[in-house]
Amino acid sequence: MTSEPSTFLRMASITKRFGASVLANDRVDFDLRQGEVHALLGENGAGKSTLMNILYGLYEPTEGQIELDGLPISLRDPADAIEYGIGMIHQEFMLIDSFTVVENIVMGTTTLPEGAERTSAARRLVREISADYGLHVDPDARIEDMSVGQRQRVEILKLLFRHAKLLILDEPTAVLTPQETDALFEVLERLKQSGHAIIIVTHKMHEVMAISDRVSVMRGGRMIATVNTAETDEKSLVRLMVGRDLDMHLDRETRDRDGPLLEVAGLVVARRDGSKPAEPASFSIRRGEILGFAGVDGNGQTELIEALFGLGTIFDGNILLDDRDITDLSCLDRRNAGLGYIPPDRRGVGAQVTLSIEDNVILGSGKSYSPTGFIDRHTVRNDADKVIERFDIKAPDADFISGNLSGGNLQKLVLGREVSRNPQLLLIEQPTRGLDVGAIELIWAEIMALRNAGAAILLASTELEEIMALSDRIAVMFEGRIMGVVPRAEADTQLLGAMMAGRALEQARDPQVIS
Amino acid sequence: MTIRLEKRETPLIGGWTVIVFSVAAVLVGMAVGGLLFLPFDASPLDGYAALIGKAFFNLRGFGFTLVAATPLMLVSFGTIVAWRCGFIFLGFEGCLLIGAMGGTMIGLQALDGGTLAGLPPALVTSLALAWGGVLGAFWAAIVGELKVRYGGNEVLIALMMNFLAIYLVQYLVVGPWRVVGDMPQTDRLPRDLWLPYIVDGTRLHAGILVALAAGIFVHILMTKTRAGYEMISSGLNPRSARYGGIDVAQRQRQAALIAGGMAGLAGAITIFGVHHRLLDGLSDGTGFLGIVTALLGRLTAPGAVVASVLYGGLSVGGDAMQRQSGLPSSIVVIVQATIVLLLLASEVLRTHRLVFGNPAATET
Repeated sequence: MTSEPSTFLRMASITKRFGASVLANDRVDFDLRQGEVHALLGENGAGKSTLMNILYGLYEPTEGQIELDGLPISLRDPADAIEYGIGMIHQEFMLIDSFTVVENIVMGTTTLPEGAERTSAARRLVREISADYGLHVDPDARIEDMSVGQRQRVEILKLLFRHAKLLILDEPTAVLTPQETDALFEVLERLKQSGHAIIIVTHKMHEVMAISDRVSVMRGGRMIATVNTAETDEKSLVRLMVGRDLDMHLDRETRDRDGPLLEVAGLVVARRDGSKPAEPASFSIRRGEILGFAGVDGNGQTELIEALFGLGTIFDGNILLDDRDITDLSCLDRRNAGLGYIPPDRRGVGAQVTLSIEDNVILGSGKSYSPTGFIDRHTVRNDADKVIERFDIKAPDADFISGNLSGGNLQKLVLGREVSRNPQLLLIEQPTRGLDVGAIELIWAEIMALRNAGAAILLASTELEEIMALSDRIAVMFEGRIMGVVPRAEADTQLLGAMMAGRALEQARDPQVIS
Repeated sequence: MTIRLEKRETPLIGGWTVIVFSVAAVLVGMAVGGLLFLPFDASPLDGYAALIGKAFFNLRGFGFTLVAATPLMLVSFGTIVAWRCGFIFLGFEGCLLIGAMGGTMIGLQALDGGTLAGLPPALVTSLALAWGGVLGAFWAAIVGELKVRYGGNEVLIALMMNFLAIYLVQYLVVGPWRVVGDMPQTDRLPRDLWLPYIVDGTRLHAGILVALAAGIFVHILMTKTRAGYEMISSGLNPRSARYGGIDVAQRQRQAALIAGGMAGLAGAITIFGVHHRLLDGLSDGTGFLGIVTALLGRLTAPGAVVASVLYGGLSVGGDAMQRQSGLPSSIVVIVQATIVLLLLASEVLRTHRLVFGNPAATET
């Protein structure tokens, strides 16, 4: 042993083909040292997930070797990987909601650690691991009662329980609040100290800079570069990742102040649990205006927007679209009246993922492709091809199954479909969650273009950066209430942060109150 | 030495692989079933020759095969619509019996002294088939409404409704509709009401044409129309469908009506094409086998037609095989079930391959 951190894992010349045409990994070299946090950076479709799935035993490489501690290993399935101490946390957590933490952890652990055969012993072990790494997980809590951040820590605990030495985290911060992200980074720091090797798959540049020791950048299935984080900066990483400089500049045209297109008056909607929220919501949006809705996830944004779109229950209040009362219209009638919606869950709601791109272009079109009852496939095909071309969706053709698209391309499909119907009012939730900068660039530009073309847009996002970049005015939601609406020029992170934590606008503006 | 399943990188989806795997599954099923012949000193080869020869290479036998396939097809088509719409309906048996009852009801009214006496026979028969379909649709609609409106469990409700239908028919044939005689059955329908035999020398009746027309209807409905798109969408992911402005509840109601209607039609056709009277024990699981043939046909109408004909042949040929070999009928049923199980299992081989040998030894 030398003082140099030893190479723990080496993936040499990994090539992975899918069928004859798709080359997902092209002679990729990757190495990981003991006790390092290694960021794997790349756009969607760059081959990061393929490489990690190979490491986790989900795919077998077409060519190439994997060495662990200098010995060649073969990973045929995740059970092999776990045996070798390799664990992965996916974006979607693999937990059973109605089970407790201990139950979830013991379940599926084939070789229980020494002394953990009994639940009581397992519980003690869970508590010990939790304390050692500062995870703050109660072994007897039920998953359904936990926040997203806590659930993620349960996933980490599960891997540590199985003696994982190498942890792969796929987009770990995509679903976390800023505070939860900080807490996660502290945990990762502790893991690193104790000699664990960690791979973070991400495309968030500031996180790479904040947490990683080294960065590997992939593009188009190849490994472009591996650099020490300390010796690089965000701008050059972006260039490595995208292959060009990014243009995040948005052209915001100032418009004549039209009257409001959407007027919401005293709207009382059902919450997830069916109870009423504290206060009715009232706001309006003009043509050519983006009203941002900031707030931590789960503060009533989704319920409000679903109610606007005709998917939720409305107890009281009115929705006027261009002076027409649409409160009692069905979802389809609202679509026909000029509403569009990009839901936060693109795989579960926004698209029919088992159907083709072409079939997804039909979704939400009502009778427009089928006035006689028969679907005019020719027109659908044309429109699908147009969406693919205009929104740069990477797919062989419109028959491609939409669920096999990457997250960014699927989102472009949902956005493209809704935008190409020229909605008067587009409701957008979390348009760029989990997407890479290249896709974000395109989606932001499209949203702005739609605004400049005169559409009214309601944009709900938990990413303050996104809200600040796009909105004309910003509303903040907390526990089902709108805490206030501020013009973008008067908004800053501090003010919005205070409102997101539950202070009304007047209180939040008063610096005395913000401690 | 171990045998393992390994995921194929590219699933085999070509038409030929389906045929090759299906034929292989049938052959393996026959070979496995053939083992059961040995204790009885019967020859599997002769037995299977009788099965295939009778079911598919003999005009009269093939006629019976198609007769058996007719109700299976109709139930399969109903399954396709209901299941693809996310309405997991298992009440076809009940709908079929209710449809048979409805058809008989009309037929009996056409006897001397009935309210429909004197009408042209073709009209009476058409009316009877239609009424069978309507009652079957109504029977399924009860289940559909309970599911859609109150969130009832369609599996449980449909299974209970099957019992209701079975005993309702039993009640009618031992009670009010019973004709004088030893058997619990109704009066025989006059010959001019029967569905005409369409091929000389066989018992193949015109019901097959009705079934095929229904198949074309279902195929077009599911692949070409907005209704079909919306039904499939509702079945795949109701949340996404609702987001797309689809009235999922309405589509499921419609799917229930079509599914029940198909099964009801199957019942009425069985009465007017085969039995010519309502009798106890009329349906022997056709309402369930039709689900199996629909699944074997991958929930597509053309696939269901092929699967239904094969299954019809299996049951007709099975009888012939039993006569030829003198085996107990239970063995014939075991062979049939083995073949169907292996057909379903062969699906796995399209996405996975079998790997023989020691896993450690194959790693090079």
